[in-house]
Amino acid sequence: MMNRFELLNLLQDTIQDELVVCNIGLPSQELYKINDRPNYFYMLGSMGLASSIGLGLSLAVDKNVISIDGDGSVLMNMNTLATIGNRAPSNYTLLIVDNGSYGSTGDQKTFTNERTSLKDVAIGAGCPNVIECSGEETNENLQKAIDDKNNSYVIISKIKSGNVPIKPIPLNAVTIRDRFRKEIGLVTYL
Amino acid sequence: MKISQKIITNLKSGGADFFLSVPCKLLANMITILENDKDIYYSAIPREEEGMGICAGAYLGNKLPCIMMQNTGIGNSVNSIVSLLQLYQMPVVFLISYRGTPGEPVGAQGGMASVTEDILNTLRIPMLHCNTEEDLDKISTFTNHAKVIESPVAVLCNFNLMKED
Repeated sequence: MMNRFELLNLLQDTIQDELVVCNIGLPSQELYKINDRPNYFYMLGSMGLASSIGLGLSLAVDKNVISIDGDGSVLMNMNTLATIGNRAPSNYTLLIVDNGSYGSTGDQKTFTNERTSLKDVAIGAGCPNVIECSGEETNENLQKAIDDKNNSYVIISKIKSGNVPIKPIPLNAVTIRDRFRKEIGLVTYL
Repeated sequence: MKISQKIITNLKSGGADFFLSVPCKLLANMITILENDKDIYYSAIPREEEGMGICAGAYLGNKLPCIMMQNTGIGNSVNSIVSLLQLYQMPVVFLISYRGTPGEPVGAQGGMASVTEDILNTLRIPMLHCNTEEDLDKISTFTNHAKVIESPVAVLCNFNLMKED
C-alpha cells in the first residue's frame, strides 16, 4: 500500500487544468511540495469543508473541479455527502484519500479503520457514482470521472497512513485566493 | 409575502445571485420565492457550516453568495467564518431570521438571541438590523458592501417584522 504523499505524487499524471480544492494540513502541504500550481486551492483552515468548497465552485463554473479530502475530514462534515448526492453537477469529483487516520494531528485512527465505510455512507447519502479503489487504481478512476461529462463521482482511495517531514505553505490566503481566481479568469491584475 | 419579496428583490439588486438556506419558518416565504426564481441558484442544505464552505466555493467561481438561516446557525459556523471566509477575504451575505427577539413564542430561542450580536461583534462582522419594512430598503446597498469590503456581512430580520409577512 502507498501513503498519501506517494498518492498525491501519482495524481500529478492525471490532474492537468482541473480546479483542485485540497484539504487542510499535511495534504495541502504535501501537494504544495510535490507540485505547486495556481489551480490548486490550499484550504488552510476550516477542517471538513474542502468537499463543500469544491461543490460550491463546481456549481459556479463549467470547469472540472476536484475536491481532495480525507476520511477524518469527511467524517467531520458528513452531511455534505447528502448535498453532494442531491446537488453535485457533472463537473464535480470528490476524491477521499482514506488512510484511516487523522494524519495531520499525529495519525490517530479514524472510524474508517473500524466499522465505518465511507463508500456505504456516500451511497446511502445519494451519491450516484461511488468508487472505492486502491491507491494504484486511483488515477484511472479519476481520469474516468474527469472524462465523464454527465456524472459526478465520489472516489475513495484506500491507502496506508503515514506522513513525510514537511513545512507549512509559505503563501498567504489571499495570494492563494487570487492566483486561483486568475486561473478561472476572474483576476487580471496579477 | 410582501416583506419576503422585498428582501429577495433587494438582495438580488445588491448583486446576490447564489442562495442557500437552512430552514426557518420565518424564511419559508423567501424559500418559496427562491425555489421559483430561474435567475439565480438556490438550494436547501442540511447545516450552516457546510453552507459557509459552499458559499466560499461559489465566491471563488464569481458568485455573490447569500446564506439564509436562523441566528442559531452563526453558532454552528464560527470557525468556518473566521478560518475560511475571513481568512481568504470572501464576501458572503448572511440573511438571518433573528429568533428569540420580541414576539418569539419559543423560550428556548432566547439563549442564542442573547449572544448573537456579541458573537457577530467579536467576529467584526458588519450588521444591518431590519426591524421595520423601511429598513429593508438598505439591504441592497449593504449586500453590495460585502463585495466592496470582501467580507461577510449579516442582515438580521427580527421576529415581529417577519411574522407579519
